[in-house]
Amino acid sequence: MTRSRGEQEAVIDATAKPPAVVECTNVSRIFGSGPTAVHAVRDATCRIPPWARIAVTGPSGSGKSTLLHLIAGLDAPTAGSVRWPAPEDSPRATAIGMVFQGPSLLPSLDVTENVALPMLFAGQAHDAAVSHAHAALDLLGIGDLAAKLPEELSGGQSQRVAIARVLAARPALILADEPTGQLDHHHADKVITVLLDTAISIGAAVIISTHDPAVAARLPDHWVMRDGHLDTHPNTADSSAP
Amino acid sequence: MIATWTLGLLRRRPGRLAATAAGIAAAVALLACLGSFLAAAQGSMTARAIRSVTVDWQVEVQPDTQPSTVLDSARSAPNVQAALPVGYAHSTGFVAQTGGSTQTTGPAMVLGIPPNYREQFPGAIRTLVGADNGVLIAQQTAANLHAAPGDTIHIGRAGIAPVDVVVDGVVDLPQADSLFQKVSAPVGAQPAAPPDNVLILGQAQWNNVFDPLATLRPDLVSTQIHTALEHTLPPDPGSAYTQVSAAAHNLEARTAGGARVGDNLGAALGAARSDATYARVLFLFLGLPAAVLAALLTATVVTAGADRRRQDQALLRARGASQSQLIRLAAAEALVVATIGSAVGLGAACLVGLAAFGSPSLGADPLTAIGWAAASAAAGLAVAAATVLAPAWRDLRDATITAARAHVRRTRPPRWTRFGLDVAVLAASGTLFWLAGRGGYQIVLAPEGVPTISVSYWAFVAPALLWIGAALLVWRLADLLLGRGWPLVARALRPLARSLSRIAAHSLSRQRAPLAEAIVLLALALAFAASTATFNATYQAQAEVDAQLTNGADVTVTEPPGSAVPPDAGTKIAAIPGVRTVEPLQHRFAYIGADLQDLYGVDPASITTVTALRDNYFQGGTAQQLMHELAARPDSVLVSAETVKDFQLLPGDAINLRLQDARTHQLTTVGFHYIGVVTEFPTAPKDSFFVANAGYIAQRTGSNAVGAFLVDTGGRDTTAVAARIQTAVGTTATVTDIAATRGTVGSSLTAVNLSGLTRIELGFGLVLAAASGALVLALGLTERRRSFVIAHALGATRRHLRSFVLAETAILVACGLAAGAILGAALSQMLVRMLTGIFDPPPTALSTPWTHLAAIAAVLIVAISAVSGVTVRLARRSPLTVLGEL
Repeated sequence: MTRSRGEQEAVIDATAKPPAVVECTNVSRIFGSGPTAVHAVRDATCRIPPWARIAVTGPSGSGKSTLLHLIAGLDAPTAGSVRWPAPEDSPRATAIGMVFQGPSLLPSLDVTENVALPMLFAGQAHDAAVSHAHAALDLLGIGDLAAKLPEELSGGQSQRVAIARVLAARPALILADEPTGQLDHHHADKVITVLLDTAISIGAAVIISTHDPAVAARLPDHWVMRDGHLDTHPNTADSSAP
Repeated sequence: MIATWTLGLLRRRPGRLAATAAGIAAAVALLACLGSFLAAAQGSMTARAIRSVTVDWQVEVQPDTQPSTVLDSARSAPNVQAALPVGYAHSTGFVAQTGGSTQTTGPAMVLGIPPNYREQFPGAIRTLVGADNGVLIAQQTAANLHAAPGDTIHIGRAGIAPVDVVVDGVVDLPQADSLFQKVSAPVGAQPAAPPDNVLILGQAQWNNVFDPLATLRPDLVSTQIHTALEHTLPPDPGSAYTQVSAAAHNLEARTAGGARVGDNLGAALGAARSDATYARVLFLFLGLPAAVLAALLTATVVTAGADRRRQDQALLRARGASQSQLIRLAAAEALVVATIGSAVGLGAACLVGLAAFGSPSLGADPLTAIGWAAASAAAGLAVAAATVLAPAWRDLRDATITAARAHVRRTRPPRWTRFGLDVAVLAASGTLFWLAGRGGYQIVLAPEGVPTISVSYWAFVAPALLWIGAALLVWRLADLLLGRGWPLVARALRPLARSLSRIAAHSLSRQRAPLAEAIVLLALALAFAASTATFNATYQAQAEVDAQLTNGADVTVTEPPGSAVPPDAGTKIAAIPGVRTVEPLQHRFAYIGADLQDLYGVDPASITTVTALRDNYFQGGTAQQLMHELAARPDSVLVSAETVKDFQLLPGDAINLRLQDARTHQLTTVGFHYIGVVTEFPTAPKDSFFVANAGYIAQRTGSNAVGAFLVDTGGRDTTAVAARIQTAVGTTATVTDIAATRGTVGSSLTAVNLSGLTRIELGFGLVLAAASGALVLALGLTERRRSFVIAHALGATRRHLRSFVLAETAILVACGLAAGAILGAALSQMLVRMLTGIFDPPPTALSTPWTHLAAIAAVLIVAISAVSGVTVRLARRSPLTVLGEL
């Protein structure tokens, strides 16, 4: 049985201890309370090393999106902890880039402004942020969309702009939540290619949650979510180990 | 399907439906409240007019007609409750010997009343001293003759010997003007004042005294049938007037010319008609804009959710729903919000009615109440149809599925902006306002004796066009500022948004259509609140001025005519606790040509210590300048505008007035110089009077007798001080205080209802202003919650989110306040000018209620700040949660 790249990294980590991008320990997230409470994530433990290429699969409602939001620091766990080895022990605006499932561009901003926004939030000057945004768009070959509004883009173009937004911020980890969920196979393939190429160009780790086996197949490591339980070694006999 | 969809809306979009229903509820409540005001106002105006009359009809028996015939006709007339004959006889004069001296009067009147007269007409005669029946002498006559109960009066009879009677009591005749009216004579032909000398006898005694005179001089003796009617009249004064007048004409017709009806009740109702019409005018000026504003608020609320609705429609269309099905769904939504809004609005109107008018009823009677409730609910349904159904239908007709799913589109200016419609409408408004000003802003014309009232509805067009033109202009300016002026906006936002200022300005620029609409709505709501508050403040100020003019000072002691009280008598009044200053005011009568007019003699140096003389009471100089001139040149005189016009006077003209000389009791000519016009003066009538130097008048007439003492109490305890003064001066002088005068001056419109209307208008103004700002902002921000959540996910801190929200809030508040203040000022001016007929006296300047306006601004800012704070807090929620909800 071939071990996943993630496991190899974990082994390396055990000896050389390269710093992980994010570490989750016994993380749970419960929505609501009482009999109607929903256990979206149950006792999940994981470690994401640099250069990780992980596909998170699982049925709808299994907790994939919740797990990604917890890793990104967009949501707080009900139990357990998420650690980012950043100085403030919190994900900086540009440390983790997120590609959302649905349309995630701000409708009142044009493409350039959408791409520049995370850098502005991170404190960059306006002109510098815009310059980086243009460079990111050019890198992805969509510089001609710079002045368009989100309503004037197709679904594939929107996702590529969302990826450009991540690229421009040069994060250490890219989280993509069903980035191809609303695209046909051809466009989905192109978007994944762009995403992985982007990750390589900026040296970022990548985690993609997906239903699509073809998308999952393009990533070397797989995690599986079932009813809130995270299995980081689905192909090993002892799948409970992190 | 409709039920499923409607239930789904109620479950999943309760906020949207509640906000829409709230807008409809505001419109319905306002219409119902104002309808309630209108109905209550009209009903109370009629009741007040009825209360003001003691004898409804004075039916004068014509010569050669038997009084008994007319009496029978009157008693058999419909709705007549009581009819009693009253004898009127002219006497050559009265003579009384009291205290060793003989007092003689000029021509006098003697009334003969039946025994039960005072029971049937309780307000006609008021006993001051002595018995209620027998020989009753009027207060002024008693003062003239120095007579009291027990004294003997000789009644002079033309051509036959006088008769002696013994006085049983001294009485006051509150309705003397109408009691001694010239029946059926036009207003100009009525006597200027009731007779000074009046005696009242029992009917039998009167017959004994005057039957011989009736035989000898029938022209000096007459009979009137005093009639009390059943007051089951329509609540509207106009309808009541028509009914009473028609009944009076009917009686005249049935007596075949044997009687003429002095229709006192009809005259009182006729006077109330213009007030009732002004109440309707107020409804149109103040109520309609507010109702339209509430409808606009509803429309804006619906527009804020338009994108979502379009997306819902697009989804349904994509799933195969037909256009008719979608229209039915929209109609169901409109019906639901209209029903909820109308129910809540009517409930709120009942509560407001209870608080403002003391009754939850929406009308004077059940039928009116049901009518107003139904009309208001129908208006609510119309608002719902116009704001929910019509846009849905338009979207279905115009938008494609793809276009409908878009959130933000590139803004194109509406077509009207290219044609300058806003400027044209404002120009038309200004022109109509100018034309109305040329006509003296006479909106309501209710000529006396004419059954119809003319209302100049053209006058309503000017403010309506101002509202419309201003709304369009504000939209254009807001669009211009947010569009082409975005660099300016970015610069202005820099302190708030720092490095995000340009992006925030760009974002606002792309969303400028809804933001401009919100600014327009806020500006209109603020303008409505400001103009209403200013109108009310000006009205209250003028009502106080009216009370001061009518009463003269805090307390006024009016001496009876003919008395010779010297100015020194004021010393006694000045010693009474609570009195600060006492100022004597001469009151004489002077002939100018053949006209008899009032003449007031003042001490120019001290008159302003007890009463306020405003500059707008005078023409030809300020109050101070003219008083200074009266002092410097004692033969100066101020003349009323009507007299100046009638006698073609020019400043500096010499005027010869004829006044009674106290030494000779003959008229003597006194020369004056006309120096200016006086339009209002404390205690003076509305027109035909003079104001001159008291010292000069005393010197030329040989008498310094005072007509009234004006008493300053510092505005405190006027009623108590008046009571103390009355005790000190006795019954000969009449003491009135400003607190009592406030309740009696002005029209029935002012005294009865305007305070309730004021509370309603101010309350709604405040609610609409706060709702326009906060609700619209909240809905707009709610619709962009997804954007804020995404921004948060992209690394926006609370400060970043706050700067985005504050940028929008700041632009909305700054532009809305600025435009609202300018429009409010313009509307206030127009409103007060157009409604000049309601003010007495007309104001020369607006009274701005700064405290109230500051409170409106504060409430608005607090409401908007609260909304902004909540929005920022919501944006910090889990994106998964929020995005899942949206």
